[in-house]
Amino acid sequence: MIEWSEQHILMRDAVRRFVEAEIVPNLEEIEHGDTPPYEIMRKMVRTFGIDEIARARFAKQIAKAKEQEAAQAAQDGDPQGAEAESGTSKREDSDAPSEGAGDAAAMQIIPVIELSHYCPGIVTAMGVSAGLTAGAINAKGTVAQRERWALDLLTLDKIGAWAITEPGSGSDAFGGMKATARRDGDGYVLNGSKTFITNGPYADTIVFICKLDEGNAPRERKVVSFVLESGMAGLTQTKPMRKMGLHSSPTGELFIEDLRVGKDHLLGEREPKDGASRGGAKDTFSTERSGVAAMALGIVQQCMKLCVEYAKTRVQFGRPIGEFQLIQLKLAKMEVARMNIQNLVFRHIEMIDKGRKPSFAEASAMKLYSAQAAMEVCLEAVQLFGGNGYMAEFQVEQLCRDAKVLQIYGGTDEIQISQIARSLLAD
Amino acid sequence: MKILVTAKRVPDPESTIKVNSSGDGIEEAGIKWVVNPFDEIAIEEALRVKEAQGDAEVVVVSIGPSEAQEQLRTGLAMGADRAILVTGENLDTSAVAKILVKIVEKESPDIVITGKQAIDDDSNEVGQMTAQLLGWPQATFISELKIADDKSSAECTREVDGGMETISVPLPALITADLRLNEPRYASLPGIMKARKKPLEQIEAASLGVDTTPKIVIKSMAPPPAREAGRIVESVDELVTALQSEAKVL
Ligand SMILES: Cc1cc2nc3c(=O)[nH]c(=O)nc-3n(C[C@H](O)[C@H](O)[C@H](O)COP(=O)(O)OP(=O)(O)OC[C@H]3O[C@@H](n4cnc5c(N)ncnc54)[C@H](O)[C@@H]3O)c2cc1C
Repeated sequence: MIEWSEQHILMRDAVRRFVEAEIVPNLEEIEHGDTPPYEIMRKMVRTFGIDEIARARFAKQIAKAKEQEAAQAAQDGDPQGAEAESGTSKREDSDAPSEGAGDAAAMQIIPVIELSHYCPGIVTAMGVSAGLTAGAINAKGTVAQRERWALDLLTLDKIGAWAITEPGSGSDAFGGMKATARRDGDGYVLNGSKTFITNGPYADTIVFICKLDEGNAPRERKVVSFVLESGMAGLTQTKPMRKMGLHSSPTGELFIEDLRVGKDHLLGEREPKDGASRGGAKDTFSTERSGVAAMALGIVQQCMKLCVEYAKTRVQFGRPIGEFQLIQLKLAKMEVARMNIQNLVFRHIEMIDKGRKPSFAEASAMKLYSAQAAMEVCLEAVQLFGGNGYMAEFQVEQLCRDAKVLQIYGGTDEIQISQIARSLLAD
Repeated sequence: MKILVTAKRVPDPESTIKVNSSGDGIEEAGIKWVVNPFDEIAIEEALRVKEAQGDAEVVVVSIGPSEAQEQLRTGLAMGADRAILVTGENLDTSAVAKILVKIVEKESPDIVITGKQAIDDDSNEVGQMTAQLLGWPQATFISELKIADDKSSAECTREVDGGMETISVPLPALITADLRLNEPRYASLPGIMKARKKPLEQIEAASLGVDTTPKIVIKSMAPPPAREAGRIVESVDELVTALQSEAKVL
């Protein structure tokens, strides 16, 4: 793919108009006030029929999953024959990108780019809810669990949060994880604190990732995920934390204290064999990482639009600053970054279209490059605007604060680097 | 019920317009093209009538360059059922009206809805001329449309100086849409996906057997004079004097 198709451009223009009419006039309120972004997100999803598409796709997936479950139940006369893992791996195949899916992928990526021109935070809040949280439930949940929780997240009727990070474990998410589940009768008792959780303050549905405490050493414990619902006894959702940027995405802490749940809240409704559930989390990371490239592209495009205009109109020493070579260098480098990120995004769409999934290392490389490039472009944009660049009025200030998070969440730059290197050095 | 709506390709109202080097048109390079905003309102109204009536068909028509396909796709993505593109160059309003008449004769719709005017030339003529040539009743600048239960007539509210006028037109009729008729929807994702598969028929203007020789020739175009910088006056007296003697508005 070398450029957007006519159909993509129709989508882009429609979303752009929506953003200009519904988001831009409320930007001040969303970015600097206490208004959560959820009503605007819902309006967008409904306006563009994204909920309708999600419902139709979900119905198809569930029908398929039910067939598989039935086939498997019929196949194994002995109930121990069907392992949770084999069920999971089969399902992942059916959810894997199918050939010709590039267009559908592009149609999801375009709104991400357009929203990121003004509001990378909204993309994050939406992505975590409909992408990460619903994705985790769909990948690991039973049909009953998917029907109970995933669909409402996909349509944004409910807001989701996905909680792995803890005060003591971020990059080493699994290794340092302290949150636990202990068996208790036919259910579990959960404990732990989670931090930096997107949508944490307002989430209706939370995927809580913890370790099964069977009296063994923490590093050896199996990783399990539970679905929690807002209002459960023992669950505290804090107010949004103050942060550097991404103000349109509420981030909070979760405290889980002796929270009792039934087995129906354990994703998969079966304890995994050994480290099986870590694979699921890895998949989730992969998706998140390709989303970051689309956000980076949106941020870079917007910086360039603002900078080109400013370079033409801002006059110093009797000339538009665009006539100074040092300013030209900034613009040219921004364009190179924009082309590179766009190529990565196009390649990603092309791969999906061919029914292929990027490898973990490829997704890491894509995230690393796009996040760094976006940050560099934003810093240069602030510089190009001079004092105005430092002032909130000129928008590059906000984009610059927002872009920084791309290098931190979904795995820091350093972690991406080590994962890319590890795959290069592996035999 | 069949509704025919128009979708003219016009420059985005947000784009900066420059006069071309020969001074008889605008510089087209780099311009973003959109559906004429009043036509978008017309399309929205047609879709609302369809949604209310159930068994209606909406046909969207554009007359102009072959690139106007893009505008027709927008109409289809909003929800129109099929599209007709009549290609031709250098067509003035009377030529466009004559072509539209041919399409109406071919399609025999119950209602034709056009925008009250196109935002590029602001002629405000095509709807009226078409109704005249067809010998159809017309309701122009409407801000509300109600189809009678027996579908034999339409009640139209028009904005007139200092108030509203409600008229009833027997169908078939031609209607032109004003700004307050509705707020057009955004093309939805399923709408956009479906639009590609909807039929888009192309017809050459020359094949319709109408005389499209322009009656209007554009001699020259000039941008409006650049606005002069404002001036802060010291007192009310100075303001009144300036308004009287310089601006000559008092
Ligand atoms: C706005 C925002 C939203 C977030 N949303 C969520 C969410 O919804 N759910 C969730 O679970 N988490 C979320 N996070 C958490 C995020 O994933 C973590 O912050 C991130 O993974 C880094 O972990 P940490 O903050 O503990 O940093 P640390 O892991 O403590 O890292 C500190 C520094 O050490 C470096 N470092 C660590 N290990 C290595 C190593 N092996 N080699 C080299 N350098 C290393 C890091 O790169 C970093 O520079 C969010 C974070 C932010 C900022």
